Amino acid sequence: MTAVAVQEPGTLAVFTRAAAAEWLRLRTVRTTWWCLLAAAVTIVGLGVIAAADDAQGPVGPGNPLPSTFAGEYGVMLGQFALLVLALLAVTQEYATGAIGPTLQWTPRRGVLLAARVAVPAVVATVVGVSLALIADVLALLVDPDLTLSLADAADSLARIAAVLVAGSVLAVGLGFFLRSTAGALATVFLLQLVLPFLLPAFGVQWMADLGELLPGSGAIWTLLREPEMTATQATALLVGWSGVALAAGGWSLLRRDAG
Amino acid sequence: MIQVRGLTKQYAAVCAVDDLTFDVLPGKVTGFLGPNGAGKSTTMRMILGLDKPTAGSALVGGRPFARLGEPLRAAGALLDAQAVHPGRSGRDHLRVAARTHGIPVRRVDEVIDQVGLGPAARRRVRGYSLGMRQRLGIATALLGDPAALLFDEPMNGLDLDGVRWIRRLVRELADDGRTVLLSSHLMSEMEQTADHLVIIGRGRLIADASIQEVMRGEGAARKVRVRTPSTDQLAGALLRMRLRVHPTDDGELLVEGASAETVGDVALEAGVAVHRLAEEHTSLEQVYLDLTGDSVQYKVSGTPELVRR
Repeated sequence: MTAVAVQEPGTLAVFTRAAAAEWLRLRTVRTTWWCLLAAAVTIVGLGVIAAADDAQGPVGPGNPLPSTFAGEYGVMLGQFALLVLALLAVTQEYATGAIGPTLQWTPRRGVLLAARVAVPAVVATVVGVSLALIADVLALLVDPDLTLSLADAADSLARIAAVLVAGSVLAVGLGFFLRSTAGALATVFLLQLVLPFLLPAFGVQWMADLGELLPGSGAIWTLLREPEMTATQATALLVGWSGVALAAGGWSLLRRDAG
Repeated sequence: MIQVRGLTKQYAAVCAVDDLTFDVLPGKVTGFLGPNGAGKSTTMRMILGLDKPTAGSALVGGRPFARLGEPLRAAGALLDAQAVHPGRSGRDHLRVAARTHGIPVRRVDEVIDQVGLGPAARRRVRGYSLGMRQRLGIATALLGDPAALLFDEPMNGLDLDGVRWIRRLVRELADDGRTVLLSSHLMSEMEQTADHLVIIGRGRLIADASIQEVMRGEGAARKVRVRTPSTDQLAGALLRMRLRVHPTDDGELLVEGASAETVGDVALEAGVAVHRLAEEHTSLEQVYLDLTGDSVQYKVSGTPELVRR
């Protein structure tokens, strides 16, 4: 064997390959497809049911309602199938030990982090937005009183995209930080869904206040304009929580042993 | 070429690897030998940048592995054959690895053929036997046509055919001029496979030498077994030559640190008849046990009692 001077690829090339590998990783396990199926059923199904429910209510002439609430209700719950997809992309590797080979193929951990955050986030967002759009269109068919203008659709889908990007970054970050599927899954559910709904339900002020500091409250407001808060607050919650989770996960991946 | 310099891994209470320094040279099969828990796997993980050393460094082809953009061309490794996502097919596992390096799928099918995974490659890893997983791991290690290969206990769980196959493979890889580091806790495996040995115990370097040197090395002095009708006379003559002589249970003498020639000559001078003269072959296993005797992490205290009838 002759010694060959190895031409080192640049960081961008290494990232592009790592991202392509992440995409192939997602496609080659069944879990991904089950998650996507669950997301499709939930988002489109809930959206259509919400529209059907609305169609039975009193018709409000002169005040046409945009059908975008269908996709928003659908994503409110259906996002979890997509967050599970993003989370499992990280934690399953720790559960099976596959993180070892992964880090032998992409030992530059910053590059791996970037690829492993970007690919699931893009997949979850593109899929979620597409499904929400389908739900909006189907809602029009279910309830002809609804409208769907381009501006309404763009506004709604942008908000859905923001929620899904923030949510999947949160899920990936927590996955890297906690490394355990059960632990990370429980944390995401608590922060994103259970506590934001549960805490205000006790009717105790400080609990309700605490609930409004959770990332799920930011997501709910961004989707449904509840509870009472400003756009700045909601954005701060989404960006802040996903930023903190990403920092914690990044620290865990970059500083700790492979695991 | 793999260079390990002062490599140390300190966990909370245990020093798993303690100031290891050695080189693994190309063109040879280097056996990395030590009892279970000696720190072999931890050392390999640090060489591959998976675990961070507390102190010291390791270079693969002159560079730290963790900074390489195309690491699979520098070193391929099989550390833990079980560490594969069970829901992915073997071929998909390889395709993912290939994609991280822009390696064409053609090469994936090549290594699948090379390790004899065949049609099983399209099945999910969940259903693989340990032997098939080992083959998949080796296929992954070979994928990037690397200059160095690290195999951690690759023969574990393999049948005899598998073991022979690995021996042949590592020999070919070394003959190609590649650097091959092969760990094992079994001296007998190394005896037939390795050219050079790096022996560790409790994280510390015990020996770094060629197989021949280890065989001749400390505690491995040659022994000669001699049978004579005049035991006392010969023993006396040998003791005068400052040789260590032990009587054996069957009335022979065991002479340490001497060759058969020496003992024969001494007997001739002493005018003693010799009925049998044989050099004792010290197996590498025995040398290894002697070398690592004090450094076995989990030593069985005492020998198990014999079952009485």
